[in-house]
Amino acid sequence: MSAEPIRTLGSHKQRDWPKHMAIWAILAIDLLPFYMMVQISFKDNTTFNLNPWFPTNPLTWVWSNWTYGMELIGPYIANTVFVAVTTTTVTLFLAIMAAYFFARYKMPFSSVLWSAFIVLMLMPAVANIVPLFALLKDLGLLNTLWAIIIVGVSVGQVFNLFVLRNFIEDLPKDLFEAAEMDGANHFQQVMNIVIPMSGPIIGTLAILAFLRTWNEFLLPLIILRDQELFTLGVGLIYLDGEYVKQWGKIMAAFFIASIPLIIIFLFTMKLFVRGLSAGAIKG
Amino acid sequence: MAQSISKGKAIKEWRLYFFVIPSLILVLVFSYFPAASAVYHSFFDWAGGDTKQLIGWDNFKRALGDSVLWSSFVTVFILIVANVFKMIPSIFVAVMVHRLKSDRWQYWYRVLLVIPMIVPALVTLFIWKFFFDPNLGVLNKVMDFTGMKNLLVGLDGVFGWNLFLDGIPIAWLSEPRLIIPSLILWGFPWIGVVGVLIYLAGLQSISTDIYEAADLDGVSGFQKFVHIEFPLILTQIRLMLILLVIATIQGYGLQLLLLGDSGGPGGRGMVPGLWMYNRAFIAGEFGYACAIGMILFVFILSLTYIQNKYVRIDK
Repeated sequence: MSAEPIRTLGSHKQRDWPKHMAIWAILAIDLLPFYMMVQISFKDNTTFNLNPWFPTNPLTWVWSNWTYGMELIGPYIANTVFVAVTTTTVTLFLAIMAAYFFARYKMPFSSVLWSAFIVLMLMPAVANIVPLFALLKDLGLLNTLWAIIIVGVSVGQVFNLFVLRNFIEDLPKDLFEAAEMDGANHFQQVMNIVIPMSGPIIGTLAILAFLRTWNEFLLPLIILRDQELFTLGVGLIYLDGEYVKQWGKIMAAFFIASIPLIIIFLFTMKLFVRGLSAGAIKG
Repeated sequence: MAQSISKGKAIKEWRLYFFVIPSLILVLVFSYFPAASAVYHSFFDWAGGDTKQLIGWDNFKRALGDSVLWSSFVTVFILIVANVFKMIPSIFVAVMVHRLKSDRWQYWYRVLLVIPMIVPALVTLFIWKFFFDPNLGVLNKVMDFTGMKNLLVGLDGVFGWNLFLDGIPIAWLSEPRLIIPSLILWGFPWIGVVGVLIYLAGLQSISTDIYEAADLDGVSGFQKFVHIEFPLILTQIRLMLILLVIATIQGYGLQLLLLGDSGGPGGRGMVPGLWMYNRAFIAGEFGYACAIGMILFVFILSLTYIQNKYVRIDK
C-alpha cells in the first residue's frame, strides 16, 4: 500500500518530461530575438558575417559597440526616463485623487462624471491623433516633451481611475471615519490612508504606465523635431534608418534601450507578472 | 460602494470636486475635444492650419471611391483572421505550463515568458525587421538550414509563383506578394505573454481532483483540454479575442515601422490606420484623414457592439 503514492508521483514526473521539452523548445524560439540581440552586440560586421549564430570568445568582444551605443542612445534614454517618470507619477497622483472622489461619497453628479470617464474605455481613439496634432500645435506644445507627458497623463486617466476606484471602495470605511474624527481633511486622508494602503496596486499600475510610456513612439514621432528632444522610440526609428549596416552597434544600442526595463523587472518580478495579467482589462 | 451623502453634507464637502477636476479637464481637452474635432473636420477641406473650407460629405464620397482604403480593409481583415489563429500557441503554452506538477517550474516558466516584455516593443520589432533582411537576416538562414527553402522552391516549381528561386535570397519585405505573409509570420512563435498569464489565471481555478478523476478514467490529454480546460478559459479567450480584433483594426505601428508610411512595395501592407496617418502627416490632407478616422471609428464601434451582443463575457 505504501508504495502506491510514490509510484504515482514517479509516473507524473515522467509524464512531465515531454511538456518541459516542448515548453523549452517554444521558449528557445520565443527568446531568440533577445539572444541574437545580446550576442550580436559584441560583434563587428566581419565576425557577424562569419559566425552569425554563436557568441564569440569574451576576449574578442567588441566593447566599442557598447560605448558607441551608449553615446548614441544615452541622451534618448535620459529624455525617455524623464518623460516616463513624470507621466507615471502625475498620472497616478491625479487618478488616485479622482478615484478618491468617486469612491468616498456619492456626491451629486458623480455618476454623470463617472460615465464621462468610462465611456472613453469603449470609444476607439483611432481618429484622435490627427486633431490632437492640430491641438498641440495651437497650444504651442509641438516639439516639446511636455506634449508627450500631458497627453500620456490624460490618456492614462480612464484605466487607472477605473482600477483605483474599485480598490479604494474596498478599503475599510472605519479608517476614513476615524481620520475624519481626528480632523484630517480629504487630502490628508488620501495621503495617509489611501496611498499607504494601496501600495501593491499602485506599484502594478505604475509599472504598466511606465511600460506604456517607454514603448510609445507614434506621438513622439509626429511632434518631436529636434534631435536633442528625441525619446527612445523616435531615436530608434532614426537609428534604424541611418545605420543600416552596423548591426553590432545597433544591437548594443537596442540592449542599452532595454536596460532600464530589465532593472525594473529584476526588482519587481512579482508585480511585473501580476501587472501584465491586469493590463489586459484595459481596452 | 461609495457612501451615500445628504445634500447638506455634500454642499459642505464641495472641496471634494477639486479632486476630480484635473482629470476631468485633461480628459475633456485631450480625449473629448480631439474626438469632436475629428467629427467636425471630417466635413472640411483642411490642411491642419487655420484655413479650412466646408465641403459637406465630399471627404466621405471620396473615401467610398478610394481603392487604397478598400484594399486596406481587405488587408486588415486577412490580418485579423491570421491573428485569431496566432492565439493558439499562447493557449497551448498556458495549458502545458498549467499541467506541470511542479509549482516552482510553473513560476519560472512564467518569468521566462515575461522576458520578451522587458525588451522595448520597438526593439523587438526592429530585431524582426533585421530577421527579415534577405542577405544577413536570420530567417533566410533558418530557411536554408532546415531545408524549408528547398521545399518552397519545389512548391514554387509546381505552382509557378516565381517567388522562391534557388540561390536567390527570399526578399521578405521587398516583394509585394510576400508582404502579407511576412506580416503574418512576424512574431513567430506568436506567444503573447499577457494572454498566457491570463489563461493561466483562469486555469488556476481547476482543482487537482478533476485531473485525478480524469486520470483514473483514462482520459487522454486532448480530451482533458476539450472537456476541462477549454470551457474554463473560454471567458479569457473571448476577452483576448475582442481586444485582439480591435487592436488589429486600429493598429498601424507595425506596418509603419516595418514597411514605411506608404505600406511597403506596392502598398500591400497598407492598413486603414496607416492610410489615415499617411493622408494627414504625409499628404497634409487632415480633413480627409479625419473622415477615414470616422469611418474606422464607426466600424470599430459597431464591431464592439456586435461582439458584446453575440460574444458574451460572463464574469
